[in-house]
Formats: sequence, C-alpha cells, structure tokens
Amino acid sequence: MFGVEIAALTGLFGLTGAFALVGTVLAAWMAWRIVEKAGLPGWTGMGAILVTLTGIGTIVPLVLLWVFAFMRWPRDEPAAAAGGGFTTPHRPAPATGPVALGAPPMALPDARGWRLAGTLGNGGTVSLAIEATSGTYMLTGAATGGPTDLCVPDPSVGQPHARLLLSGRRIGLEDLGTPGGTFIDGARLLPEHGPRDISAVHSVRLGTVELLLARA
Amino acid sequence: MDPVSWLLALGSFTVFVLLVGHLVVALVFIIPTWRICTRAGFSGALSLFHLVPVIGLFIVMGILAFSTWPAGESGPRR
Repeated sequence: MFGVEIAALTGLFGLTGAFALVGTVLAAWMAWRIVEKAGLPGWTGMGAILVTLTGIGTIVPLVLLWVFAFMRWPRDEPAAAAGGGFTTPHRPAPATGPVALGAPPMALPDARGWRLAGTLGNGGTVSLAIEATSGTYMLTGAATGGPTDLCVPDPSVGQPHARLLLSGRRIGLEDLGTPGGTFIDGARLLPEHGPRDISAVHSVRLGTVELLLARA
Repeated sequence: MDPVSWLLALGSFTVFVLLVGHLVVALVFIIPTWRICTRAGFSGALSLFHLVPVIGLFIVMGILAFSTWPAGESGPRR
C-alpha cells in the first residue's frame, strides 16, 4: 500500500546521498589542492574531508580547518637554512596579481640647467650653459650683444642659426634656415619642422660644429 | 492569544533562530577561512561566501583550490 511512498523516499535519500557523496569527493579534491599550495602533503587535506564519511562526524574536519588556518605553513619557511649569512627570497613575486610590484615613486623634477659643449672648426672649444627654465635663446655665429644670444663662433654657423626654446624641464630647438643646416642626432632639422623637443637628445650639429647636450 | 497569532509568533521565532544559528555556524567557518584567504593573498572578505547556504563552502574552496595564490604558493609536493 505504501510501496510508492517508500520507493519515492528511498529515491530521495538515494539522490541526497549521491549529491553528498559527489560534494564530499569534490571537497576532498579541492582540499588536496589547497593544502598543497600551503606546502603540506595533499593527503592531509583530502583525509580531513574524508573523515566526515566515517562515524566521527563533522567536528573533526572543523577542528582541522581551524588548525590549518592558524598553523605554520611550510610555504612560509625559508627555502634552505644551509646558506649561512643571508637567506634568499623564498617567495618570488608573482608575475601578475595585486602584490606583484608597487608603483614606482614619482620621479623628482630635474631642476638642473642645460649645457651645450663642442669643438669649433678652428680647434677652439665652446661651452654654453643655459640655466633658465623658460624663454628663447638664439644660437648665432656672431654675438650681437643681446642678452639671449648664445655665440658659437664658427664660419659654418649662421647669424642667427637656430633658436633654443626652454619650457620647464624641456628644451626645444628650431632651425632658422641657414645654409649650414641643423642636425639633431644626425637627422636634418628643417625650418618647416618647427621647434623640436631635444630634451632626450645626445648631440646637436650646427653647420659643422657638433655640440653635445648634457645637464649642467 | 488566538491560534493564528500563536502560529505566526512560532514561525517568526523559528525563522529567527534558524537565521542566527546559520550566522553562528557560518562564523565558525568564516574566521579560519578569513585567515586562510588572507595568507593566500586574497581579500579576507572572500570567506564571506560561507554565508551562502550549502554551496558557499564549495565556492570558497574552489577559488582557493583552482586559482594562483597572489601571495605565492608552494609547488607540488617536493
């Protein structure tokens, strides 16, 4: 008379039991992986879950969870105590992740001025220091007495030859179309190029005079 | 007290007790799991998945088991 009900109940318990079994096996597998990442042998994690299948109940796995959380993990031990003196970093920073590398400290502004120095065609040397952080300077072959003239006394340098522009920590160069030509690291700068940022440039050539750019 | 009110009160009380009981049981799981997640390099708040009934445990374990721990992990058994 109760055959159908009994069958249904048996089926329900069977289904529940099947789910419980699958869940337990899944948890055991994941526990294996988790304790291995902490440096413990994998069977300890799997065993902790599988004791729930025995009559001990669930209190033992719970206690083991607390023990695992607060115990010392082999992962955190120094790699080898053999190397005396200093210890090598045990945990290399992962390539990705939130703790990979912090942001670099903000670069400090470089308050130094600029210096253009080189050798003239007649064997002399020229060294021009520019301390200003703004303004326009003229590179010229013959000084006209102006306060912003930077004299490069060489026949191949025009009068004026090029313009130096300063803005903050950057320095720009503009050719004024003289026959000798202006070159930035060997590349010709034409008047139609306008001002070019030469802050990261190694050398500037005016006519035949090679000037090395450096921070003063 | 009429029977309906009595039943409502009993039901409310049962729900309340179940809720509190669930929270207490979840807390017993959350405290150690919070520490495990933190040591693994994750946010401790990941352990709050234990508040999800039945499958919360599997979510947390799955994340811990199948991800790369940001704080570094020991290789397979040396």
